[in-house]
Amino acid sequence: MTILKSNFLALLLLATMGFMASCSDDDDAPEAENEEEVINEVTLTFTPAAGGTPLSFTYNDPDGEGTAPAEQDDIVLAANTIYSMSITFKNTVGDSNEDITEEVEEEGHEHQIFFGWTGALFSSPTGLGNIGAGNQDNPVNYQDTDLEGLPIGLETVWETDEPTSGTFQILLKHQPDIKTATSSSEDGESDVDLEWNIKIQ
Amino acid sequence: MQLCCIMFTRVFTFLIFAALLLSTSPAFTQGKKDCSADCSCAISGLVVDASTQEPIPYATVQIKNSEKGIMTNEAGEFQIKGLCEKEYDISISHLGYKSFVHHHDIYHPDLIVKLATNDMILESIVIEGSTIETGLESMTESKLSGKELESIKTESLGDVLSNITGVSTLKTGQNVVKPMIHGLHGNRVLIINNGVRHEGQGWGQEHAPEIDAAMADNIALVKGAAAVKYGPDAMGGVIIINPPKMELSTGHLHGTAGVTAASNGRSVNADLLLQQGYKNFAWMGQVSGLYQGDLRAPDYMLTNTGAREFSYMLGTRYHYKQLDLTLLYSHVQQNLGILRGSVVGNLEDLDLALKADEPYFTRDFSYNINNPRQEVSHDLIRLKGHYNFKDHQLDFQYGFQANTRQEYDVRRGNNNDRPAIDLELFTHTLDLDWKHAPISDWSGTIGAQWLYQDNNNIPGTNTIPFVPNYNNSRFGFYITESRPVGNMELEVGVRYDYQSNSVAGRDADNDVYRQDLNYQSVTGLVGINTSLGKNSSFRSNFGTAWRPPNIAELYSYGKHEFTIDFGLWRHITNEFGTPESIQGVLDQDQRPVDNELGFKWVNTFNHTVKGRSLEVTAHVNYLKGYIYSKPAGIAATVRGPFPFYVYDQTDAIFFGLDASYILQHTSFWESRIQGTYLQARDVSHDDVFVGIPANKLGYKLSFMKQAFGLDEFSAALEANYTFRQYQAPRVITVADIDEANLNGENLFAEDNSNFDFLPAPDGYLLMNLNLQGTLNQFVFGVQFKNLLNASYRDYTNRLRYFADETGFNMVISARYKF
Repeated sequence: MTILKSNFLALLLLATMGFMASCSDDDDAPEAENEEEVINEVTLTFTPAAGGTPLSFTYNDPDGEGTAPAEQDDIVLAANTIYSMSITFKNTVGDSNEDITEEVEEEGHEHQIFFGWTGALFSSPTGLGNIGAGNQDNPVNYQDTDLEGLPIGLETVWETDEPTSGTFQILLKHQPDIKTATSSSEDGESDVDLEWNIKIQ
Repeated sequence: MQLCCIMFTRVFTFLIFAALLLSTSPAFTQGKKDCSADCSCAISGLVVDASTQEPIPYATVQIKNSEKGIMTNEAGEFQIKGLCEKEYDISISHLGYKSFVHHHDIYHPDLIVKLATNDMILESIVIEGSTIETGLESMTESKLSGKELESIKTESLGDVLSNITGVSTLKTGQNVVKPMIHGLHGNRVLIINNGVRHEGQGWGQEHAPEIDAAMADNIALVKGAAAVKYGPDAMGGVIIINPPKMELSTGHLHGTAGVTAASNGRSVNADLLLQQGYKNFAWMGQVSGLYQGDLRAPDYMLTNTGAREFSYMLGTRYHYKQLDLTLLYSHVQQNLGILRGSVVGNLEDLDLALKADEPYFTRDFSYNINNPRQEVSHDLIRLKGHYNFKDHQLDFQYGFQANTRQEYDVRRGNNNDRPAIDLELFTHTLDLDWKHAPISDWSGTIGAQWLYQDNNNIPGTNTIPFVPNYNNSRFGFYITESRPVGNMELEVGVRYDYQSNSVAGRDADNDVYRQDLNYQSVTGLVGINTSLGKNSSFRSNFGTAWRPPNIAELYSYGKHEFTIDFGLWRHITNEFGTPESIQGVLDQDQRPVDNELGFKWVNTFNHTVKGRSLEVTAHVNYLKGYIYSKPAGIAATVRGPFPFYVYDQTDAIFFGLDASYILQHTSFWESRIQGTYLQARDVSHDDVFVGIPANKLGYKLSFMKQAFGLDEFSAALEANYTFRQYQAPRVITVADIDEANLNGENLFAEDNSNFDFLPAPDGYLLMNLNLQGTLNQFVFGVQFKNLLNASYRDYTNRLRYFADETGFNMVISARYKF
């Protein structure tokens, strides 16, 4: 009996010590990570080909995946003007300031930006854009290409038509191992899908 | 910390006193005299045929190295009295049967010896005393073992368990399978793996338990709320997975080797078990592996559904007189592919996927596993001991578990080589149980359990960690007692748990948040087990259970697949009554989150006469403070609109019926009918939940005979019908959400009841055919699964939006036993 008792007590003692040793420490916080998943700011910069002040229009969702509403500029362009447009993607949630445009460019062979618009906004390109299955060959004036010679869409050229208004959609697709000459906006995952109000005046 | 340690010290001091008091109290020391002192030890038991279960008269039972021996009577029973030793080897033999030696001690009275005939591949075995896993007699328990388990154990644990009525699965594709008991899963179902609480990242719907069913010798399922015995989380039930038992005195090296090949997925699965027992010592070693390529639905490949699994287990047992020690080490490692076509960037992508005829990214067959995939591992070291004295038994167990989880998503560029979730979890557990000798008819167990956990994010994911780091200490103690009252057994139990967490995470701004959380709860159970006449029995058990909110429920923030979730402490309700996310983190003072409490009542009626057996289980589970996520609005993001969900608490009720009926037509033919019915409701909002398993009805016709030159031939045809889930919530399509977003409406302001993007899939019929033959020491099997190559989708598969379930599969297996 005494042997048993001392065994039992020894075990209890062991357990108590184990607990004391371990229940005291607070855990360390995880290390800060460079957030490379979120894009919350998209800027379209239209530069007149004939020279002049570049026009920038920004979409900014201050809390990224949070519920706070985003702020989005309306695009206002001059009629009958040729613009080159460049697009930048950023993560500026909280203290972040991560430019994701470079990544998209470097990984150009797995990204493509598709465009869609309403009505007769542009005299070039003609049509209503290349969004939708089977529409990938519709005209868009891509100015950049990936290593395979396929368009990316960070740099494009647009010639506005007579004054009017409508909407302008940009769709960034992530197409790893999928992007080909025949892949469309319905292949891959959407990383950015924004519709802008646009006014030609 | 301080509070928890003070509590703990007090509790332990109490226990030490209690132990001292009880062990010196006259009731115990006088209980029974030592039988070895006056040579009054005895052994009794029953000898039966292992296959027919008929008693074997005139079998010889001999105490080794002594003169003492006896023959069984007409009823197969034997009793040997006047023994001076408390333990010894007994040998049991009979003409035409495999004789064998069993190491016996008096602490396991009433043994049942199952003798196998010489021409059978089965070994003779002994069942000692009660085989109730929980030790709780009023709990309803189902068991998978032997042949039944052997033919299915190459499947995932969840799929194996779904062979028990009342169990269904929550799947993410085909490789990630979580078991559900009576509609509850994850942190509401407890898994006891090799005797230890399995601790992994159970908070995620796409996190299956890291357990290889091929390593199990038998699996028991407890349908009641056995929280009194096991502590938090055991709300829906408990799954108990046992490794092969290490028998002493086996005489020679034993083992089994098996190989299984399947046509669907072109997979190979192999396993090997070796074990040997000596006088005081036994060991075992086990290894198993799976190599699986892409699976196939009837109409297309399921690209990226390959899997790899590798696991092994080593064990030793030492037995000396009253002391029995086992040491076990097990390792499980899995690399599980998830359907490539299930990755969507936004609602438009989802809508395209919903309308597509076949999943996007469908490619030709491949063994490659690309992103998305999960790499998980689980290591367990366990030291377990029993110590018997007088009529008491002391059990102690220490377990250490190391769990790692890496989840790889489809990401941009080099981030594809980095896991998006990278977690490690270390868990120490210590269990002490004391089964005391009866005190005025009361017999029972007093126990204490301690757990310490450390969860860490491994840096380098390039995304803000989804869950925080935390340390978790928990202590609990319990007592369960039972006694006969009239012709029934009455059982009562009570338990107290205290848990303290220290949490440190990063919010969306990468700022650190820290919190200390404390939880405590008292749980109880009362139950009866009674026989109704000669052939019927009835069990009824009412038990309470609890669990603290898990880390995902408190701290989730942001996009996960095609929804956005905000945890209980990551959102507020603004002045217009609309929920919105916050950058920081709330705490218990700002938003109190109570424990989830469960009250489960389970009743089982069993009626068995020769050739017929009926079992019906009725259950009801009331969950107070049930934590779930509900739709709360539409969030505009750079990817377009997303519905967002917030975690909330409500009161829910789950109730239903499991029934099975077995009818033996002749000695060769047997029919089995089984069905489950389940209802779940949100009582506070008069609503239904998403993802509650649908009702099922199944029929199985089996045949078993010595035929075709085989020692045993068996065939079974199964037809299982799964009904459409008619209690599914309303449907809101992607088009509805887009339209509301365009009009600036909040779809959920008026009605925030649950919704789904698609209606529940139609009911389906699945047919399987199993053929099995035994020749000498070999067992051969051919299984035809989904015999009709039916295309169907399952309501509780989270990938049902994207692809059909797997089609026809032929599985060939061979097993050698020695």
